[in-house]
Amino acid sequence: MSTSDEKPKSELILDELKRRQRTKEVVDVEEERVKVVIFICGVNFFAFYGRDIREILPSCDISWVPCLPDYLPGLINVRGDIESVIDLRHFLGEEKGDHGNCLIAMAVHGDFHSGVMIESIEDVVDIPLRLIQPPLATLNGAARDLVIGEIEYGGETISLLDIGKLANLISL
Amino acid sequence: MNDKGEKQLASINLLLFSVGGVHFGIDAEQVAGIGAYDGDQAEDLFWFHEELEYGDAAVSYASPTVVTIRTGGVQSYRVIIDSMEDIAEFSQDDIRLFPELLEPFAMRRGLWGILPVKGIMVLLLDFQRFLKQKLTVIN
Repeated sequence: MSTSDEKPKSELILDELKRRQRTKEVVDVEEERVKVVIFICGVNFFAFYGRDIREILPSCDISWVPCLPDYLPGLINVRGDIESVIDLRHFLGEEKGDHGNCLIAMAVHGDFHSGVMIESIEDVVDIPLRLIQPPLATLNGAARDLVIGEIEYGGETISLLDIGKLANLISL
Repeated sequence: MNDKGEKQLASINLLLFSVGGVHFGIDAEQVAGIGAYDGDQAEDLFWFHEELEYGDAAVSYASPTVVTIRTGGVQSYRVIIDSMEDIAEFSQDDIRLFPELLEPFAMRRGLWGILPVKGIMVLLLDFQRFLKQKLTVIN
């Protein structure tokens, strides 16, 4: 039996649970998180910061324009706005195939805005900022110019791509 | 003035055609003549898809037509287009700019705007601008 000055067991448990909750809230407040959009381009997973992706458009007609480089497949009409489309596979060394079933991620970063062709959306997740690791030193080619970090997802390491870097690369 | 207080632009007459499934429009004022292609192999006659650098894709012409373009110079410029569709008047207000990312590439080939018509994007081509760029490259 408990003595009269001892707290009931239930209160002790409640106190402990509340203490843990307060600690968790403090941790939650302090830990900065970012939203990332995980997608497939070619046959591999990649990610963008969620803040740079305005919307995902279902497969739509891309109007080809002569004299554009390979990485610019043409134009799309987004509710009356004419937008460019970028083929990311060119920069990531991914094999190019038919883009009839591709989705278009509408990317906006500062003054830069364009559609970006992707195969499919895998997930949109909030991750702690601390989990973004520096890019792999072994990266090469144009991909190195686009990758801002690496994240773990489903046991795989995924390259986090920077729309700002993509904008700079194309505007050169 | 429209409801945004912007000055209404005048209309433009466009000759509409398509080559290899891509739709184009040129200012009808630039056209000096139109005639059916009779197999002429003259050196001053150009195939549109070669001029616009369509690349490796094979382009077939269903109804090739020779368009003579006013150049303002001594020599006229003749180009073979395909599937001439219409000469129609459009409001300049309906013309859209190329997205910033594409504009430098498009302008190098005289493509200066886009006209969405019934779900189709018509690429507006200024042959005089195109020829100026072509001559700059040659020289």
